[in-house]
Amino acid sequence: MEIVKTRKDVTMTLAIEGRLDSLTSPQLEAEIVGKLDGVAHLIFDLSKLEFISSSGLRALLLTQKIMDKQGSMTIRNLPQEFREYFDEVGFSRVMRIE
Amino acid sequence: MKINVHGLAFKQSMAVFAGISIVFAALFLFSNSQIQGKLSQMLLQKGEEVSRANVALINKLFSSGRTFGEDVAYNIGNKKMSAAELDDYLLRTLSGVRATVPQVVAMVAAFEPGMAPKGIDGEYMRLAYFSGDSTTVINGGNYHEKIWYKSTKDSLKGIWQEPFIGDFIKEPIVIFTTPIFREDYNGEKKFAGVLCVDISIAFLKDMIANMPVSNDGYAVVLSASNMIIAHPKNELTFKANFASLSRNASHKRLVEFENAVHSMKNGLFLGSSVDGEDAAIYFTAMESIDWTFLIVWPAHKFMEEQRSVSHMYAWITFGGYAIVFVLILVITFRASRPLKSLAVAADKLGEGDFSVTIPDLTGRDEVSQLAGAFKKMRTSLQTFIETQKDMDRSKRDLEFSRGIQLGILSKNEMEEGCGDNRHALAPFLLPAQNAGGDYYDFFKLDDDHLAVLVADVAGKGIPATLVMLVSRVVIRTLALHHTSVAEIFNETNDGLMSHNRDQLFVTAWMGILDLRNGHMEFASAGHKAPAILRKDGSVSFVNSVPDIALVVKEDCTYNAQTLDLNPGDTLFMYTDGVTGARNADGETFGKDNLLRALADCGDRAPAEINSFVKERLDHFTGDVRQLDDMAMLSVRYDGAPEKA
Repeated sequence: MEIVKTRKDVTMTLAIEGRLDSLTSPQLEAEIVGKLDGVAHLIFDLSKLEFISSSGLRALLLTQKIMDKQGSMTIRNLPQEFREYFDEVGFSRVMRIE
Repeated sequence: MKINVHGLAFKQSMAVFAGISIVFAALFLFSNSQIQGKLSQMLLQKGEEVSRANVALINKLFSSGRTFGEDVAYNIGNKKMSAAELDDYLLRTLSGVRATVPQVVAMVAAFEPGMAPKGIDGEYMRLAYFSGDSTTVINGGNYHEKIWYKSTKDSLKGIWQEPFIGDFIKEPIVIFTTPIFREDYNGEKKFAGVLCVDISIAFLKDMIANMPVSNDGYAVVLSASNMIIAHPKNELTFKANFASLSRNASHKRLVEFENAVHSMKNGLFLGSSVDGEDAAIYFTAMESIDWTFLIVWPAHKFMEEQRSVSHMYAWITFGGYAIVFVLILVITFRASRPLKSLAVAADKLGEGDFSVTIPDLTGRDEVSQLAGAFKKMRTSLQTFIETQKDMDRSKRDLEFSRGIQLGILSKNEMEEGCGDNRHALAPFLLPAQNAGGDYYDFFKLDDDHLAVLVADVAGKGIPATLVMLVSRVVIRTLALHHTSVAEIFNETNDGLMSHNRDQLFVTAWMGILDLRNGHMEFASAGHKAPAILRKDGSVSFVNSVPDIALVVKEDCTYNAQTLDLNPGDTLFMYTDGVTGARNADGETFGKDNLLRALADCGDRAPAEINSFVKERLDHFTGDVRQLDDMAMLSVRYDGAPEKA
């Protein structure tokens, strides 16, 4: 998995490429926990997501909980094949998916 | 090289060194005494060889002198000679005896008063002596108080007097004195006077001077009173006695010597020469006269041989000693040096330093073997620790999680004690290598209500396992007081939400089956819809609308939904791992394949359905290792029995 991080003022974009599962989600958590100071808008670009497991969802939920306190989080370009999973576990209802 | 006195090498060296010292010392002492013994024996032999001829000659001379003297005394005593006849007799016999014993230089006949030839009163002494090339007879006197006369008169037997330098003949002389007896008118033997035979011992000097003795040895002749009567150094003759030959000139030494001479007749004695030098002295007591014949070897000469042999032996001993000592030191220190470095290496290993160099030993001895074993140990330790590091958290945690997952869940209805004749169910759980949160559960709320559940805790490891344990307990506890799954989920969500910092959300599908009629109330917390395998063989997914997963959002409201099972229908519940299983091409097993597998199950029992689906899954995935847990729970409703 690769994470491409871009920041513009208070907006940070994290483009995730590859698999987000139990092996790689600690990598994402490391990029987020304690590193979102001053970020008001966090955007996940998941256009190149190949797979997401419950661990991956957990990492996104963790981020959502952080951003709930300091701004907003948006998920963009979620491939259709994973949309169902997000709906199923109810994440569509707690996250902003565009 | 620093020597450690407590070290193995030092101790070993010292032990061997001590042993070797004892052996060498014993050898040295033994050989020394052997050498001494051999040397003494050699000296004895040599002394005897050198002395034998001379001693024999002297013995012969003095025996002849004695016999001659006794013969003459007898003749003078028995033949009543006139004064002229006596003189003539003395001159004749002196000349005669000199033909065979030229050392006889004079004869003396001294008479007791009244015993002299006829017509002579008072003392009468005639001395016949040889001078130049003729013999002469002269008068002598004042002999009565002379030792030679008195001692012979007192003892009445032949005596060898102490040698002296003669008055008439200025050379060393020894005198044999023997009494003259004459029968008186009554035929009684009476002491009539003394006959002397004067024998020159000047020849002894030449004899001794010409004696060839090896090792600077020389001969000495001692009189009965141990006076030196012949010595290569002329000036000593008749002036020194044996005391000068004896170390310290002590009386004790002299007595020792005399005793040795008397008891042994011949032997070896350690004394000193007149120069005060240490000397070995061979002695022989002479039979004919109470003299002693000596061969003296100055110690420095005779001991030279012994010393040189001893010294050579000492050097050989010392050399061997030194070589052995050095060898021992070298060997032991060579053996102990690698041991020491191994000890250092062991210390460093103990401190966790695996880069430590272990001495490279190529030998085949024990130390090399030890070093080899040591290297192996380091390598395997290193590997073990590396694996431990790799395994570390994740692996150990997962082992722990698997243990709990597999250990805590009931494997059949017997274990749970919820079996009856109105249903049958079978669970299946396969924890993946690095996941750990799937579980199933089944239990009865009362006789007629059976709760069934499958859940998936997001995340892995111990945190996921703990959440699983907690949620299982919470749900079971809440189920005791509620008959609505929706309410159970509502409260479970609230309960877990307040303590969830890690965002370990849980998806769950739970239903409560009324065993009396097959009616089921269920709720879905973000979980996939189960499938139903109808008795007629048709399969379909339950129309289940998922609500948000547990522990994602506070104050969620879960919707109560229902389904109905007819006798013979089987409800198949499962977790993500089943439909999400991947093959080598990256394709997922998916819902369609699951439905097809279930459709192919026919009227299989719940346990068989689980294993049938697993077989299809295995067939689909091939050798690809699955990353997610798999849980399945099949429940068949058999209907309420007809009441009798």
